[in-house]
Amino acid sequence: MSTSANEPRDPQAIRISNVCKSYGQYKVLKDISAEVSRGEVVVICGPSGSGKSTLIRTVNRLEEINSGSISFNGHDIHAPMRTKELNLLRSRIGFVFQNFNLFPHLSVLDNIAMSPIRVKGVPAAEARAKAVKLLERVGLADKQNAYPGQLSGGQQQRVAIARALAMEPPVMLFDEPTSALDPEMVGEVLSVMKSLASEGMTMLCVTHEMGFARDVADRIWFIDAGQILETATPDEFFKNPQHPRAQRFLADLRH
Amino acid sequence: MITDLIAIIRDYWLLLLIGQYPNGPLGGLANTLILSALSIALAFPVSILLALARLSKWTPLRWPVTMLVYVTRGVPLLMLILWCYFVVPLVTGTDVPSFVIMLTTLVVYQGAFLSEVVRAGIVSLGHGQMDAARALGHSYLGAMRFVILPQALYNMIPSILSTFVSTIKDTTLGYVINVPDLTFAASQVNNQLLTQPFQVFLILALVYYALCWSLTHVANRIERRIARRRAGTVSATISETAQATKMITEQP
Repeated sequence: MSTSANEPRDPQAIRISNVCKSYGQYKVLKDISAEVSRGEVVVICGPSGSGKSTLIRTVNRLEEINSGSISFNGHDIHAPMRTKELNLLRSRIGFVFQNFNLFPHLSVLDNIAMSPIRVKGVPAAEARAKAVKLLERVGLADKQNAYPGQLSGGQQQRVAIARALAMEPPVMLFDEPTSALDPEMVGEVLSVMKSLASEGMTMLCVTHEMGFARDVADRIWFIDAGQILETATPDEFFKNPQHPRAQRFLADLRH
Repeated sequence: MITDLIAIIRDYWLLLLIGQYPNGPLGGLANTLILSALSIALAFPVSILLALARLSKWTPLRWPVTMLVYVTRGVPLLMLILWCYFVVPLVTGTDVPSFVIMLTTLVVYQGAFLSEVVRAGIVSLGHGQMDAARALGHSYLGAMRFVILPQALYNMIPSILSTFVSTIKDTTLGYVINVPDLTFAASQVNNQLLTQPFQVFLILALVYYALCWSLTHVANRIERRIARRRAGTVSATISETAQATKMITEQP
């Protein structure tokens, strides 16, 4: 994936250091530190309310943090900076939402082409041609002129992934991308994610799909009550979880 | 009765249409239309700015605008007109034409009302759309312009429309500060005839009704066309019926 020439050479794509966040008295994230290397696929799992979504939303600063730092390719995302700079950084971090959040007033093609045109200043014809290619890649070439409301959930999420890819981000974040889908549509979205991973994309995914975690992830972060309790390869994590909370979580999943 | 109406229109149509013009100021229906069109054209962008200011995180911007909107909405329009009429010349020290006073008052008043409609449209979209736009690297204003406002304004077309229609009706209040509009012309006609107030003001009512009804009608058609385009070819018929029902229930 493209990275600009003047990028500081931090070997880690994402470096989370001592991040704390609270809503009033309630501590959501408690001193979290972790890294994602270039090309690595990390799956964050854990029970609901554990802070998974909040954590992933702090990585592109959709949520602010109270202390600590998060660097993306060596840039401190939460440092005081001009909004222009932040927008530029954000444009280089792909984000896929649980509820797709496609723009319902735009056609599928315009959903994908709009941001390259408006944010990066890519000529419209070029952006559209690229959007068509991306649609082919997610298997929706025939839906260019459809509106999001005419698509199934699985199709919408695939368009959302294509939309994020259109900005050519070196890193993709997924916030429970399959949780809002009917069971029969989960597979089509996961297979797009799998092919992305196999192309070497750096990915950080919050998901409950343990099959995906087992097959695709390089590492798993198990998070509960705002802390990363365990970091392990899928093999270690599923066969021999160390933390008692992780053991209980996996036991509950098997029932 | 009908013959009376026809006779009045035959004798006074020019006065009702353009007032004293060219021997005096432009008035009548022409002036009503100009005043309405200008009010709407100015109040609409003003309302978007007011709505954005009210949603701003920046307190020195949000508070005064919120105050302005609350006060304007809490005061009868007639009072606002009279207040402007007496206060503005005191402040400026010059003689401001009543047309300009009426226009300013309408822009502020309808701008405040419309801003609440626009704000509701923006808020009702939820955070997801803004989050998605920001995550793609759009600036706040870019997200507003390309993602939020097109949806918010579209969703609010019926309410925006009824505010436009009520703006047209509100121009009649210019009568109290002698804005030479259609109502003013009609009352001149009535003063000359003396014996036919019912007929004169019936004509007035019919003209206003035709004006407001046709605006509603045109906008309904525009909205249905947008809906059809947005729904594509598959679900066009279903959503069109849905739109139609919505329009009937929300007609002003």
